[in-house]
Amino acid sequence: MKKLWFLIVLWSTKFGLVLCKIFKKNGTMIAGKVALKFQSDFIKYFKGINYDKVIFITGTNGKSTTNNIIVHTLKTAGKKVTTNLEGANLITGVATALIKDSTLTGKINSEFFVFETDERYLKRIYEAIPAKNICITNIQKDQVQRNGEPDYIYKKIKEVINKDVRIFVNNEEARAKSFEKFTDNVIYYSVARNDKSYEKTSFYDVTMPCPVCNSKIHFNYYNIDNVGDFKCSRCGFKSEKKPNYKISKIDYKNNEFICNNEKYSYVYSQPFFMYNYALAIAVCKEFNIKYSDIKEAFKTFKNIAGRLETIKYKTKEIKYIRMKQENPETLQSAFDYIAKDKSKKIFMLGLEQLEDFKPYYTNTFYSFDCNLDSLIDSNIEKYICFSKAVSYDTANRLIYAGVPKEKIVILPTDSNEAIFEELDKIDIDNIYLITWLHKYEELIRDVANLKEGE
Amino acid sequence: MEKLNITWCYPDILSLHGDRGNIMALKKVAEMLNIEVEINRIDNYDDLIDFKKTDILLFNPGELKTVPNIIEALKKQIDDLKEYVNKNKVLIVIGTTGAAFGKEIVKLDSTKIEGLGLLDMVTYERENILGDDLIIKLKDNDIELNGSQIQVIDTKLDSNIELAKVEYGYGNNGYENKLEGAKNNNLIFTNMLGPLFVKNPWYAELLIKKAMENKKVNIKEKISKESFEIEYKSLEAIKKYNEEK
Repeated sequence: MKKLWFLIVLWSTKFGLVLCKIFKKNGTMIAGKVALKFQSDFIKYFKGINYDKVIFITGTNGKSTTNNIIVHTLKTAGKKVTTNLEGANLITGVATALIKDSTLTGKINSEFFVFETDERYLKRIYEAIPAKNICITNIQKDQVQRNGEPDYIYKKIKEVINKDVRIFVNNEEARAKSFEKFTDNVIYYSVARNDKSYEKTSFYDVTMPCPVCNSKIHFNYYNIDNVGDFKCSRCGFKSEKKPNYKISKIDYKNNEFICNNEKYSYVYSQPFFMYNYALAIAVCKEFNIKYSDIKEAFKTFKNIAGRLETIKYKTKEIKYIRMKQENPETLQSAFDYIAKDKSKKIFMLGLEQLEDFKPYYTNTFYSFDCNLDSLIDSNIEKYICFSKAVSYDTANRLIYAGVPKEKIVILPTDSNEAIFEELDKIDIDNIYLITWLHKYEELIRDVANLKEGE
Repeated sequence: MEKLNITWCYPDILSLHGDRGNIMALKKVAEMLNIEVEINRIDNYDDLIDFKKTDILLFNPGELKTVPNIIEALKKQIDDLKEYVNKNKVLIVIGTTGAAFGKEIVKLDSTKIEGLGLLDMVTYERENILGDDLIIKLKDNDIELNGSQIQVIDTKLDSNIELAKVEYGYGNNGYENKLEGAKNNNLIFTNMLGPLFVKNPWYAELLIKKAMENKKVNIKEKISKESFEIEYKSLEAIKKYNEEK
């Protein structure tokens, strides 16, 4: 009876997906949502899923991109893959992916199943599909209103790590690496010290507590913030000297690196991308994907979840960098990206009131986790801080970093018009913008409207 | 003039919400008062605090799992710590770390951890996390402070030791309770993040002056309201936002 009900739900939701396609609606979540509403254990009735070839990718940062690289590489190697590529990383997104790829009898003919999984829903997804492979990219501060502190997410992931699971962990991220104690089957991926690695020597620099004993972690160097060769000052927990897969000899000029004696070319050179590549190599090699296929895939990979965009406004080019305000690592990466451009520029910083979940609030404090020294030494002529509630706090962070007050314009408004008016006053065309995606989309819309009105 | 000695406790371990901003703000405000500042970091649990060379002791927020380590480390110097508090010296503890200074911490699995007992309160681990803004008025002097809070514990006070009344936000134990933080002499516990002293430099000024008074140094100078123009404008913007949201 339950199987019959499964088929009815499957056919209905498949029909719904067809309608979504006809009416050009995004159905990445809705089909799965409906299916799970009508049958809570809907997923378990699919046939043909080999759990040995199910790969979950979880962690705070890098899930979507790594998922996309792995899927692109497997497909380049001619493998059939079921995935939630659109970033629908809750159980509803996974269910939708299965609905899409199944036959009318619920059979799936894919060889691999690669799912980006939200950390908080990992247990529920795992209960439906007990994956044998779980990749943990990193556990960082993020969306504290839901996640509180990194340990909260750590406990969520811990619920699914057991002796039956093979884990892929970042060798230079202490929290992710510490999951090694819950299974004997661990693959470490790593990025060696390189031209973009750095050390922190300022009096105010802080590291993090050891995930094993809560004492101070010491970093020999950083590849990205809170990620680098580390050792606990008390219990000795540390990065492996000989990780399974290690990217080394990164040649940023020629976009090449070596991993386990094999040379790869790459397109995306931000330091965090190196970890995405390293994890993708580790997963693909463990599943016997040929070097030539991985190499070819890295050359052709296009990041659909890109964080960099450009808006043309009159003579000005506004380079937009996406960030997550409650995630200091992405904020730091955005600052570092701008700092590399040493030409004269304007920097617009639109931290905002946070309106993801109720109660809305005005947290800007993660900007104090970031180091702004390179940014302020990168020839910024003027800083524009905007947003109704937190533009003063944003400006204050810059002042604490040493920016003179007279270089800062504060716009305590959410009006895009005020931003354009301010830009019109300045005779510099090189503009960088860090703000929320919705604000960027509003600005694009208004720029287009201005062009139409001309 | 005598120096202001600040001891920054476990900065790497207690660093959840951009909290190093607090030490930067204390230094900045002290320098605005023309006071020379020396900051001493206590990086490891085995390092001892030099209470004789401390005028302000700062504990920033950390993860709940670190609280037992903090208690264990401070118990090694409990007599000195009690004497420090009894002498009215300034100790600031923010966020979840405050649980270490209460009588007891009750975890979700019902296990209990004995605290240092310097604040007459018990803390309870929360099932769900709560994040909101927090606007308060200090009980002693009606000074207004603002910030945010990320609440993973609730705090129940067993006597009238609250630091402040809540004007907007959650505070110690719910939107109805309207009590925020706790105080024992100049041991100050607050849930307020921001960082606290970056957003409320006038509170940093007040506590620095108290710390200097303890050294028999009377600071007559008062920092003008204009010097904190950005912070006052921020306070107004955030009050307005919370009224309208």
